[in-house]
This record gives sequence, structure tokens and C-alpha cells, in this order.
Amino acid sequence: MFNILSLLFKYIFIIIIYMFIFSIIRLIYLDIKGMDFVGSGDYAYLKLINRKDSLPFKINEHYSIDEELSLGRRGDNDIVIKDPYVSKNHFQIIEDEESYFLEDLSSANGTYLNGELIGDAVGLKNGDIIKVGNIEFLFVNKG
Amino acid sequence: MNKENRRIIFILVGFCILFVGLVAYLSFFQVFKAESVKNNSYNKRLWINEENVLRGSIMDRNGNVLAYSEKNEGTNTRYYKYGNLYSHVIGYSYREYGKSGLELEYNNVLLDINENAAINELKNLVLPTSVGNDLRLTIDHGTQEKARNLLNGRKGSIVLMNPKNGEVYAMVSLPDFNTSNLNDNWKEITESPDSPFLNRATQGLYTPGSIFKIITTLSAIESLDIDLEYVCEGSTNIDGYILKDYNEIAHGKLDLHGAFIKSCNTYFGEKSLEIGKERLGSVADRFMINQKINFDLPVKESSFPYKGNIGDTELAASAIGQGKVVATPLNMAMMASAIANNGEMVKPILVKEIINKDGKITRAITTDVISTVTGPTVANEIKDMMVDAVASGTGTNASIRNVTVAGKTGTAENPSGNSHSWFVGFAPANDPRLAVAVILEEAGTSGGQGAAPIARDLFIHGLNNIDF
Amino acid sequence: MISTKLSGRTPRILLFLYEILALSLLFVYQKDNLDRYILATGIGLVLLVYISNYMLIKISKGDNYIFLIATMLMSIGIIMIYRIDPEAGIRQLMWLSIGILFFYLSYFAVKYIKGLDKLIYLYIVGAYFLFLITFILGTRTYGAINWIRIGGFSLQPAEITKLILIFIVACYYSQYEKFKEIKYSPYILMGIVYSFIGLLFMQRDLGMAVIFYGIFLVLQFIYEENRKLVLINIGLIVVGGIIAYYAFAHVRVRVHTWIDPWRYIDDKGYQITQSLFAIAEGGFFGKGLGLGYPHFIPLAYNDFIFAAICEELGIFTGIGIIMLFLLLVYRGFKIGIGQTNNFYKILALGISALFGIQSFIILGGVLKVIPLTGITLPFVAYGGTSILSSFIALGILQVASEDAEWRMDHE
Repeated sequence: MFNILSLLFKYIFIIIIYMFIFSIIRLIYLDIKGMDFVGSGDYAYLKLINRKDSLPFKINEHYSIDEELSLGRRGDNDIVIKDPYVSKNHFQIIEDEESYFLEDLSSANGTYLNGELIGDAVGLKNGDIIKVGNIEFLFVNKG
Repeated sequence: MNKENRRIIFILVGFCILFVGLVAYLSFFQVFKAESVKNNSYNKRLWINEENVLRGSIMDRNGNVLAYSEKNEGTNTRYYKYGNLYSHVIGYSYREYGKSGLELEYNNVLLDINENAAINELKNLVLPTSVGNDLRLTIDHGTQEKARNLLNGRKGSIVLMNPKNGEVYAMVSLPDFNTSNLNDNWKEITESPDSPFLNRATQGLYTPGSIFKIITTLSAIESLDIDLEYVCEGSTNIDGYILKDYNEIAHGKLDLHGAFIKSCNTYFGEKSLEIGKERLGSVADRFMINQKINFDLPVKESSFPYKGNIGDTELAASAIGQGKVVATPLNMAMMASAIANNGEMVKPILVKEIINKDGKITRAITTDVISTVTGPTVANEIKDMMVDAVASGTGTNASIRNVTVAGKTGTAENPSGNSHSWFVGFAPANDPRLAVAVILEEAGTSGGQGAAPIARDLFIHGLNNIDF
Repeated sequence: MISTKLSGRTPRILLFLYEILALSLLFVYQKDNLDRYILATGIGLVLLVYISNYMLIKISKGDNYIFLIATMLMSIGIIMIYRIDPEAGIRQLMWLSIGILFFYLSYFAVKYIKGLDKLIYLYIVGAYFLFLITFILGTRTYGAINWIRIGGFSLQPAEITKLILIFIVACYYSQYEKFKEIKYSPYILMGIVYSFIGLLFMQRDLGMAVIFYGIFLVLQFIYEENRKLVLINIGLIVVGGIIAYYAFAHVRVRVHTWIDPWRYIDDKGYQITQSLFAIAEGGFFGKGLGLGYPHFIPLAYNDFIFAAICEELGIFTGIGIIMLFLLLVYRGFKIGIGQTNNFYKILALGISALFGIQSFIILGGVLKVIPLTGITLPFVAYGGTSILSSFIALGILQVASEDAEWRMDHE
């Protein structure tokens, strides 16, 4: 009985180990994609318009949007920006049925879409420019 | 990117190469090296089955047990009842020295291990085996003993088989060694200059001498364009080389039949030039010269290298079984069998049946024609020549009252020592039941003097005692 | 494909699944002497791994993968150890629990204690002290004096010293400008490291000596501005290696048994050939857990655990382990590149190099790619101090993976 189980399990073990390795590689890959971005069309993303080294805090060139993306000064946001003009929770972008919506989270200084201060959630389209404090992002839709 | 990060990447790439190298080596090892590593006799796993499974017995055709295992105080011990008698047929299985002979070739059968590891694993799960399969050989114990006694300690080999179904009744090779106490004499055996481990019957390559004329004769019969008449003067000059007859006796006017009976070297030497190397070679191939012979023990290929650039001298020498021609005793016994069996050469067999622990026969070996050397008419023609060679030619020492024996003697000149003494033949000629090849290595006597009487005694014993 | 449904939880769940299946199989295997205590420890292991992984995500904003990879390696290892010797397996579980505890301890210590980069002299003194007590209290096992026994426990001080070495080098290069003003300071550093290596050599701990040298060379290669020194370092080890080969019989033995172990199969080559037999027998998928003969391999759950794993779980698992180590090293270097604080950056690089070098030396050794030196496979092999030191190192790496400006977060 044990022998049969063991014979069967050895294949299962190998499958699990490789799935584990695969899932880690995949997650790391997504991670790197977030950091050292190469636009591939699979994901919608935000692109930093400002020159990076002119800013006094750490920021990446690209942030891919996977269903949901939040920006703020506090550590639990997807994009953490240590800029005094940015609120703890500033804005979020939500995907709903292939469309993306930008929503301000009652920030102190507000969120600007193509130069206009937004109130309620607004739909995003390719090429929109989102401004928060001194930082400007370009929204690039997938595909 | 600054230079530190560049160096970090450099180191990281280095690590990647090292680890990928490990993966590559591990795969390489598994694919190409694992098999040979596994079979190293120091690998204790090889002997695990030996501990758990009682190795099967080996018995002769009549059920006499020749080798068996017994469990003593938890360990399995192998016993060989007849010491030297089966040192090359059965061989040995020792933890210290490995395995040989049928013990090696039939190891998986004796231990009831399936060759496919996965199936074996599954099988062990369902019904764990504790007793292996038995082998029933085609060997007749009495005849085997008789054959070894007939060699009487002289270096050489005997193969006695059934020409119709290929069953080997006796296979002896001397010198041999005692398989029941290898521990005591291992060093002595390995250091002996006479190579006792060599199974001369299947692994010994000997110059066949005149027995090869059976093949040349068949080629001559098939070569319808040549004149089979010849006047023998005792010697002839072939391309500057003087080919002599035994004691330079001039045989006078000869046809093929006469030349065969008298084993006339000059006749076959001269005729081979007309036959040509291609025709002689293709007939030899049909007799499994230059061919791999499948047998229960590994067999060396006999050889007649006719495809290369060989001159007339070389061809003439080959036609009388000299020159570069070499053959195993087993192959020569098969040659005689093919003539006896109307031109059909059957596969030789040593293991008759595999019997499982419940006494059921799980595999019975059937007769297999591996080559048709010629048709019945030509085979009978050569058979008549062989009968006359024993009745009134070189092989008279092989003749038996009441039984017609067919045969051919050979005295093979051996560049490295005394000549080999050969006899191949079969009996009874009208309904062959036994075919034999006898060789006395470096005996220095003629085939008629040395080997023929042995064949005669063995035929008498075999025809009277073997349960066919 | 699973990729569409892939989330951050997937590897944790796979790890969980692996442990559950392996433990149930082992319990069937050991069903005759199974008691409540063993069952409880088994469940303890699963919970320990799952909870500590889950907790880490909540606690640390840094890398999520290195701890996962380490716990996967650890799970494969402990299952094999338990299968070979259930008692050793239970002891290993205890060590692992302590190891995970030390992971968190070192994580918080390195994160919150300030000025760790200013203590170079303390580190140097500490390292020599550890060598000293090894010589005074050490016992000789397998020809090497590298163990001390305190109470019922055996400790291998060099396992800790190797981490101190990383701290020493990190202190030095993170304040490179300051130390450069001291005359000959790079030579002094090199002298200190070489004295460590010499002391290890006297203890006959060749594997550890190679690790020390490797870590130092990697960090020196990355940070030393005087490139001549790097060449001198490489040159010295070549000369030193050749001298060691001719001067010390035990070094020669290792080289000989590496080149042709089959010739010495009865004595000196016994270990490595048994390892090769096991790997060869395993094939691609292995014999199955509990169906091989790891007892034939000497030191099956220490130095040769990789061979035992290959025999029963196949070289596919073996390749998996190698890939996990590669991933760990990759993550470590990636953390190093991303870290802005130089001290943490060098710590991360040193620790990654440590994991990489140590695993390569022992994996290469049991595969006969390089001469065999007896060290443990990090996280996988049995061994108290080795497990502790690996988890401490991992904790430091975890800190290094976080944004160094974390202090700014406390507003």
C-alpha cells in the first residue's frame, strides 16, 4: 500500500516543486516588470513623465496596473511616494470590464486629469496625463 | 549603471553559469553515465535482490540440479554441485567477483526481476517475490561429464548439439575452474596464462584448417562455371607461394568428392581462385561467419575477411581454412549441423525452459532457422562426402560400427604454436541426431588422430544415453 | 495554465500542499511507530511554515520570496531527514523552529539596532574569540576540529564566524573613504581574512575555508578600487592551493578521490562513490520516498543529503533544488542592486554569495564536479548551527530587501 502511494507521490512531489518554482519565477517576473519596465502590451501601465533624478524621492519609471493600483505616501500603497504634496492615500485606479477608472481618495491637494481637477471617478483613456503634486504620469492602456 | 552594479551583475551571471552547469552535469550524468555507475559491483543495491530473493536453480535437461541457492542464517548462498564441469556454461555469481555465464545472462530471470524498472516496482508491490525462476538447460549432464573426461585435461573445446532443433547437449571448454570455491583460487585463476575464464566454445577464435573445406566445397558446387577435375602433385605454386599437402602426398587425379575425402589442400587452393573471393565469402556468410550469432551466452564473431583487398595467396589459404580465417567451435558445430539438417542452420539454444516458483513453464524456447546455407540436394551431396571421409578418408578414427558417421577433420597450422586438431561431424548420417565440433588446442596431432576419436566416443555415449 | 489565476498566495499554497502530502506519506511509512507526539510535530511543522510565511508578509514590506524559497528547501530536507531517521527529523524540526525564531530575531535586531556598521573592531575581536574557543573546546570529527560541545549540544562556531566575516567586510567597504585614510588598510583587511582562512585550514575545515575565501573575493571584486589587490588575492589562492596540495596529505586525498574515486572505492573514495550510486539509481523520477536505500550513503542526512534526495525523489527534484538555490542567489543579488544603503547592500551581497558558494561547493562535491569538502547544504541538510546561521543570514537579507529609508516611514 505504502509502496503504491510512494510511487504515485514521487511524481506529484516533482510537479508541486516545479509549480512552486514556476510560480515564484512568474511572480518575480511580474515584479521586475513593475520595476524595470518593458512595455509589452499585456498590461496597462502608468509612465512617469518627469525626469526621475530631478525628484527628491524614490520613484520608478513605470508601474503596471493589475486590476487595481493605489498611490499614496503610506507604505501599503502600490505606489509609495514620499512627497509632502502626496496624501497618505491619494488616488486609485480600478479596472472594471476592461476599462480603467481613476478615483481620488479625498486627497488634500487633489488629482488632476489632463490638467483638470477630478471630483468623482472618471474613465481613463490611452494617453491621459495624471498629475499628483509635482509628478506627472502618462496612462497607457493595454493592447 | 554604476560600476559596482555592473560588477554585481557579472558575479550574478557567474553564479548562474555555475548552477546551470550543475543542472547540465546532473542531466548528463543521468543520461550517459548512470547505467555503468549503477552496475559497478560495489553498488550494494545490486545485491539487495540477492538478499530478498532466493536465486532460482539451474538443472540439466533431465532435471538434475546443477546449481542452487539456499538460505542459511538469513543470507542466501549459491552452491555449484559440479565444481569445474559447468564453469563456462553456468558460470558463477559471487558478491566479490560479480557474475558470469548464464548466471550473468539470465540474472534477471533467476531473480525474477523485470528488466523494466517501473514494471518491476509495480510487480513487487502487488506480489513481492521471494523465489526466483529456475532454468532447465538443454545440457545432458552425463554427456557433459563424458565430454569433459574425453578432453582429459587437454586444452580445447567440445560442442555437441542437436542439428535439427539446436539444443546443445554438451559444451566444454578446458582449462576450466572450480566455481564452488572461487574464494580459494581466484588469484590463481586470474593469473593463469591459459586463461581459464575464457569460454573457448563461444569466445575462442581458432584457425579452422581443413574443416573450413566444407564451406569451400559448397562454394565449388555452386560455382557451375568451374572445372571440378584436378591433378594433385603434392604441392602447387600460387602466386609465388608454395601450397603443400599434408606430408606432400600427391593425390593424383581428383574430382571434388575425392579431394574432400583426402582433404587435398592444393585442390581447394587452386579451385578457390576460380571460385573467387566473393562467392566463397558469401557462402561463408551464410554459415554465420562474419555474422553475429544470438545465443544464450555471448558469442564472438567468426571471421573471414574477404571484403578487403586480398590476394590469390591469401584466398587460397582461406579456402583451406588457413590465413586470416578464424572461427569459434560453436560456429563450427553449427556448420556441421546445417549440412546435417538439409542445409538449414538452426539457432543454438542452451536454456530449454524457464520455470517459475509454482513449477509452471513460463517460457519454452522454440526452434529457429537462422540461415539457409543451401538446399537439401547439395546438402546431401556434401553429407555423402563427409560420410566417405569418415568411412575411408582422413576421419576413419571417428567411425562407429552400426552407425554411419559423417565428418571432416582439420589440422590447422597455428603460427603461434603447435597445430590445432579439429573434427566436425554428425551421426547417424541418415537421420542426424548429434552434431559435434571438437578442437584440441595446439595438440600437435592431426584432426584424424586427435579429435576424431573423441567425437566417436562422444557420439557413442550420446546416442545411447541422451533422452532426445 | 495556472498563470492566469496566479496570485501572491500560490507558492505558499503549493508549499503547504507539498508538506501535507509528504507528511501523510511519511506517516503511512512509519505507521507502526506513530504516536500522538510525532503527529503533533508534523502538524507543527506545517503550521510553523505557513504561519511564519504569512506573518512575514504582514511584517515586512521587503522581498516575499527568499523566505518562501528557504522554507521550501527546508521542507524537502526535513522530509528526507525524517524518512532516513525519524528521531533526527524531530530534532531537525526543533532546530528549524529555533531557526525561524532566529530569523525574526535577526530581522528585528538588524532592522532596529542602529550603528551596526560602526562595530568593525568588535566583529574582528569576536571572530578571533570564536576561533580561540574552537581550539580550546573543539572535538575532532571526520578529521576536522570544528565542533564544540556545550551541554548536550554540538555547535560549529565557524558557522557564526562566516556571518561575522560578512559584517567585517561590509563595515569596511561601506565606510571605504574613511578606512582608505588608514595606510595599508586593504592589506590589513586581507591579512585578517587570510588569518581566518589559515585558522580554518588548521582546523582542517577546508569547505569553510573555501567559503570564507569566496565571500571575500566576491565582495572585494565588487568594491575594491585597487584592482591589483583582486589579482593578488586570486594569485595567492592559486599559489596557496598548490602549496597545500603538496604539503598536506588530506588535501591530496581529496584531489585524488575527485579525479578517480573508483580506484579508492574501498576506503578514501567510498563516500563519493556511494553518493554517485545513489544518484544514478534514482533516475529522473526517483525510486519513491521510502523505496530507496539512503542508508547505504554515509552521512546521508548531512553532507550527502542531496544524493539521498536524488535517489528517492529523482534528479528532477535535484534539479529543482539547484534551481531554488539559483533563485535565492538571484533574489539576493537583486536585493543588493536595489538597496541604496551601502552597508545593507554589502550585507545582502555577502549573504547571497555565501548561499551561492556554500550550496555550489557541496552540490558540486557530491556530484563529483569539484573535490568534495564536507559542508552542509543550507536549509536542506541536518545540522543545528548550520540551520541557525542560515536563518540568521536570511533574516539579515530580509532587512536588506526593504527600503533603507524605512525610518522615514515612522512619522
